Amino acid sequence: MGVDYYKPEYYRNRELSWIQFNYRVLEEARDKTLPLFERLKFLSITSSNLDEFFMVRVASLKDMVHAEYKKPDIAGMTPEVQLEKISEVLHEFVTLQYSTYNRSLLPLLEQEGVRVITSHEKLTREEGAFVDRYFQESVYPVLTPMAVDSSRPFPLIRNKTLNIAALIAKKSDGGEKNPEKNQEKGQEKHLDFATVQVPSVLPRIVRVPSKTGVAVILLEEIIERNIAKLFLNYDVVCAHPYRIERNADLSFDEDEAADLLKEIQKQLKRRQWGEVIKLEVDEHVDKRLLKLLKKELNIKDQDIYKISGPLDLTFLMKLYGLEGFDHLKVPKYVPKKVAAIDPELSIFENIRRGDIFLHHPYQTFDPVVDFIRQASVDPHVLAIKQTLYRVSGNSPIIAALAKAAENGKQVSVLVELKARFDEENNIIWAKMLEKAGCHVIYGLLGLKTHSKITLVVRDEEDGIRRYVHLGTGNYNDATAKLYTDCGLLTCNRAIGEDATAVFNMLSGYSEPLAWNKLAVAPLWLRNRFLAMIHRERDHAKAGKKARIVAKMNSLCDREIIAALYEASAAGVKIDLVVRGICCLKVGLPGISENISVRSIVGNFLEHSRIFYFYNNGEENVYMGSADWMPRNLDKRVEILFPVENEKLKNQVIHILEVELEDNVKARVLKPDGEYERVDKRGKVLINSQETFCVEAEQQEKGENPEEHARVFIPMESIDE
Amino acid sequence: MAVTRFGVINIGAHELDMEIYDISSARGIQKVDHIRHLVPLGKDAYSTQSISFQVLDEMCRVLQGFMEIMKGYRITAYSAIATSAIREAENSTIVLDQIRVRTGIEVKVLSNSEQRFIYYKAVASRETNFNKIIEKATAFVDVGAGSSQISLFDKKHLITTQNIKLGAVRLQERLRGMDLEISGKRRILNELVDNEIQTFHKHFLKDREIRHLIAVGDPLVYYVRKILGEGESEWIPAQQLQQLYERVMKMPLGELADQMDQTVESASLVLPALTIYKRILDDTSAEMVWMPNVSLCNGVAADYADKKKIVRLEHDFTEDILMAARNIAKRYMSNKNHTQMMEEVVCQIFDSMKKYHGLGKRERLLLQISALLHDCGKYISMSVPGECSYNIIMSTEIIGLSHMEREMVANIVRFNTKDMVSYERFQGHLTEKAYLIVMKLTALLRLGNSLDRSHKQKMKNIKIAMRNQQLLVTADTQEDITLERKSFDEKADFFEEIYGIRPVLKQKRGAK
Repeated sequence: MGVDYYKPEYYRNRELSWIQFNYRVLEEARDKTLPLFERLKFLSITSSNLDEFFMVRVASLKDMVHAEYKKPDIAGMTPEVQLEKISEVLHEFVTLQYSTYNRSLLPLLEQEGVRVITSHEKLTREEGAFVDRYFQESVYPVLTPMAVDSSRPFPLIRNKTLNIAALIAKKSDGGEKNPEKNQEKGQEKHLDFATVQVPSVLPRIVRVPSKTGVAVILLEEIIERNIAKLFLNYDVVCAHPYRIERNADLSFDEDEAADLLKEIQKQLKRRQWGEVIKLEVDEHVDKRLLKLLKKELNIKDQDIYKISGPLDLTFLMKLYGLEGFDHLKVPKYVPKKVAAIDPELSIFENIRRGDIFLHHPYQTFDPVVDFIRQASVDPHVLAIKQTLYRVSGNSPIIAALAKAAENGKQVSVLVELKARFDEENNIIWAKMLEKAGCHVIYGLLGLKTHSKITLVVRDEEDGIRRYVHLGTGNYNDATAKLYTDCGLLTCNRAIGEDATAVFNMLSGYSEPLAWNKLAVAPLWLRNRFLAMIHRERDHAKAGKKARIVAKMNSLCDREIIAALYEASAAGVKIDLVVRGICCLKVGLPGISENISVRSIVGNFLEHSRIFYFYNNGEENVYMGSADWMPRNLDKRVEILFPVENEKLKNQVIHILEVELEDNVKARVLKPDGEYERVDKRGKVLINSQETFCVEAEQQEKGENPEEHARVFIPMESIDE
Repeated sequence: MAVTRFGVINIGAHELDMEIYDISSARGIQKVDHIRHLVPLGKDAYSTQSISFQVLDEMCRVLQGFMEIMKGYRITAYSAIATSAIREAENSTIVLDQIRVRTGIEVKVLSNSEQRFIYYKAVASRETNFNKIIEKATAFVDVGAGSSQISLFDKKHLITTQNIKLGAVRLQERLRGMDLEISGKRRILNELVDNEIQTFHKHFLKDREIRHLIAVGDPLVYYVRKILGEGESEWIPAQQLQQLYERVMKMPLGELADQMDQTVESASLVLPALTIYKRILDDTSAEMVWMPNVSLCNGVAADYADKKKIVRLEHDFTEDILMAARNIAKRYMSNKNHTQMMEEVVCQIFDSMKKYHGLGKRERLLLQISALLHDCGKYISMSVPGECSYNIIMSTEIIGLSHMEREMVANIVRFNTKDMVSYERFQGHLTEKAYLIVMKLTALLRLGNSLDRSHKQKMKNIKIAMRNQQLLVTADTQEDITLERKSFDEKADFFEEIYGIRPVLKQKRGAK
């Protein structure tokens, strides 16, 4: 005994670990074996990831520094130290992003016949005439240039918008052609600051007519080219794009917010006003202009990023959408039908025949939508209850729920307003559902409802029967095509009872006397996980076989990690598949030598959470909505559910097995803290996501997937 | 197959519960949903004797929610009951009225004896072996929030049932605020419990050897079972209960709450409950304790299913009530032969008069109990037996009877020997309707009583039948029944007044 598993040196800082994850995404953008347009997509993702990281994580660290909060994190770093380190690492990261863009992707695009005109100076005469006309007709009318002088204060620059800043000088006599010359002559003129937002209502990418292939230019270049037209009585000394991010964390006091809905709406307006935490500017920015921006935006050097290329690379996602380049993309995958579901029968009859396991996006999300849709019109259905976290635009689920309410069913929906960045979206749905007659609950005080559960109560011949869907992903039919998630449809009595208890709790009633099958955060889940980890530890100590395999998005809970260390030290073999943040360190002598960590970054976003405990041969398999993060275990309503049907259990174990064998998209965490691709020499290539695609197709055709489970298709052959 | 959906709302001392049941003859009584909401009614009621408006507000809000849920299940039949917290609150009338006005729920406040009976019904209806268990001397201990009920069974029958003012919430309230060492906590709890249990032992248990202990209590037994661990059978070795008591005594509340997966508030009730079970266990030679997993709501549902004849229950509960009444009569040294004859005769009269009195099975039971107890006051005074009987009945728990029914019985017995008064002059809590029943049953009891005026059971083979608007009573006897005949004629006047029917007594001398 006596080993302190909580020592800071045994842990990695979560922000730095997250940046490593973004590096892994960037690696995909740099992966020459990937189709070009997929690489564009990955680069775009790194950019939007980074935006969110700033708005949430960096902002929160900034808040801590302002509050003089000095408590070190899990790895012993104070907020101030973390910010310094983050800034250092991110500056390198951004440099790599743009060298990828400039040196790899742009030339390749050119080769493929896509000419990205990187600056307006490079336009040909005809092209120039075209964009000038476009400016005059479409852009100019929506621009709002703003100048700053003694009577006009520095304007509000909106979060995440792209802007062009300019220094302008009043024309002395209208004859001066080149204002720069004035300076050279030493005639210091008074310069004013002006700024104009690149309108977000117009497409960022403008296609320019071209004789060969496709030519595009970015909107800000067109504006820059024509900027003089905005300040007629002035000379434009210089003009450069810039972009800021503000503190966006919604940290409001729930106890004081009588009406959560109003409070969030208020916060949304306030978000534009948050502290500026990042400034991106063109690398060639005029020094005077930068100095001015720095002063007005009140920002330090370490938060300024000088960019060699277009700001905000998320436009690449739009570029990905260009038509006619399918040969440079991975063919669109169509989710397969679920063989276990007989389309001739209702979804309820299907579920009564046995639990149904769903693996998205390999299998279609349609059964889940059908589940709610059929329930909404089924005369035997009494009630539908569901938690909604993030829903898609035009969600068929929302429509079905509204219809159910109109059909006189009792519909209770918990809409989580606090789902980050989705608040606006959620409020719209919530109001619409209320209008339709649904009972809408707006979350719980102090807790985010992250669990994904739907309950359908049916009045059948022999009494009440409950049908439950439990999942690891949101009820979002759009993301269900992109995120890997698992789901279970069941009418198991014990789970039905628990599901009812969950909704009773969510509507403000007390906890049930006991849970049959489900483990629910924030009250019970942490202890449940710890107990299961400890149980493996005890089995290992007793000389029995002990093993844990867990797949999740993030691992940063100190108590869980310490328990894993303790289990590893006792001899438990632990394999973790963690897509993103991982604060656990592998290979610590005597502590984590039995733990392996791998991360899979592939075409689909790994999102499912699966937990396997050997439990002395009993093999317990759970799935759920929670990561091993403090926020999931302590501040959210989460559900962990068991998969008990032997056949389904084996299917889930199979998923874990294939992912542990992945040597194409998996990177393994090394004791030095770096992630490395798996050494594939002499091995059959296994790309887990591709494998699941093939297996889904086989099961749709009625072939027994178990028989084919070991037939892995090398990735190259699929990319053809 | 027809399924009846039934809701039960229970306003308890510690929480509001609602349970939803699907009842069918094929699948029995199935619990479909259980919704709880902790509302500390008991805290208010036991310490200040009144329920604050704040608590009332919350209660109404929760009850409204319950109504919504029932609507969702499309429930038409439900029953709402309240127990000791409302019973003991002085403002209970206002509270009940507010509940009615704000939620539309008509709450029935159960008397202790009704509550215990329903709970007992839940237990008895759960186990087909119940009749077997109670063949040997069995103590049935039901620990509630405000009080506990100890019932003794022997040779398949209920011997006695007593309510003692020891409940988990009540004991916990006594401990509240005292920052006690383990030894101090143990001492105080023991002292509080000891006194009451000893009294019970002396008066009722005497030298009877208890072989089985049935420990119940809603939701306390549930908590205890939870601490014992999952998958435990309902039968627990006595030793294990003793060990558990020691363990809980030493365990910090927070830890206990974690183990139970419940709040600290709920956890604090476990030790007081265990103390009571353990103390009674100490007085017995029981080797096993049965802790059936039932709730009061289960009982209400079972009662409903039984009454609606959807489900048939094995055990004869009416017999329990009668046995309890017989034992009360025995305790007060009533003349057994006389009461037995009375019981038979009044039932005969009742049955032959069905068309004329229009009363049902329940009233017949009340009449039977009245016959059994009509004499008990003589134990105290020979000169005013009616008043004394009345007082004895009013202060005795008769399991299975509501307070209203008990008062009806007490009045029937009182008016057996005293003149009846009009309802306007009646001083008591009976409704006019109930008082009318009292009058009808009194007439029957008086007539029955007159047939054994001498307490010598002179008449044999009594036959009673309606003939030509007359109630014809024929009896075999060789003896002189002048006394009885005189008494019969006197009582017949009152009888005629009530029913418009003249009873006629015919003596048959033919038989030996």
